[in-house]
Amino acid sequence: MNISLTKIFVFSAAHRLHSRQLNEEENREVYTKCNNEFGHGHDYILEVTVKGKPHTQTGKIILNREFDTAVNSVIGILDHKHLDKEIPFFKENISTGEILIQYLWGKIDKKLPDNLLYYLKLWETNNNYFEMGRDK
Amino acid sequence: MMFNYILSKLDGIIMSSNISITKRFEFSGSHRLWREEWSAEENKRIFGNSANLHGHGHNFVLFVTISGEIDDVTGMIINLSELKAIVNDVVIRFDHKFLNMDTPFFKDILPTLENIATVLFKLIDEKINSAGVGKLKKIRLQQGNSLSAEVWR
Repeated sequence: MNISLTKIFVFSAAHRLHSRQLNEEENREVYTKCNNEFGHGHDYILEVTVKGKPHTQTGKIILNREFDTAVNSVIGILDHKHLDKEIPFFKENISTGEILIQYLWGKIDKKLPDNLLYYLKLWETNNNYFEMGRDK
Repeated sequence: MMFNYILSKLDGIIMSSNISITKRFEFSGSHRLWREEWSAEENKRIFGNSANLHGHGHNFVLFVTISGEIDDVTGMIINLSELKAIVNDVVIRFDHKFLNMDTPFFKDILPTLENIATVLFKLIDEKINSAGVGKLKKIRLQQGNSLSAEVWR
């Protein structure tokens, strides 16, 4: 039997989709409104799922407090920031949802006990989301 | 007949997929996370305000997912009213109860979201098995708006 626990977190950030490998016109064509010169923002909703056996004494896969601390330490750095201008990783990498979710996976995975992180779902708007998982 | 005809036309599209049906249920209950052998400070440190003396409550939302063969005659994996009756039979034991005291399930394990979900999975699984229609694939138990647990095979 498999058991997982999912918690929802929220952070808000600005970004601009712009590839250095494309010229101005190509960028506008590819990213349309997401290429807007001065950026734009989203309320990102992040669903974090851990999978494991509940601890016999606590009945928990992870304590709520530890879960919050691990995830908040990662998204706290992004919250109310301009991703491309303020987060070094996104100076080199385009802040698409596909790349942002991999960034989040790498950071959150390191903050949680080994092999606990199982699945991420990142909602960029109410109408689109990105998923990344171990085997889901 | 018509249905079989349609299915045979769609063979390889529909038949090769996994199909499941999910139904949503609600119940409200209270619980307390507390280990007698630990000090009050330790309980507070580990469980936070879930250790509060008189318990506290949640509105739980339960999603029950059944998979299986689609019946040729009815076109259904399981009749939804049958599923409703089966699950309600289980949920009624949890609804408007203090889970620690009013149910027999949490004498040896704490009623954490993970454990409640596991107990529900086992109880519903038994009933689905004896009904002999479909197979319980997964349940999702949501506590409030930001926390949920899933149990699957």
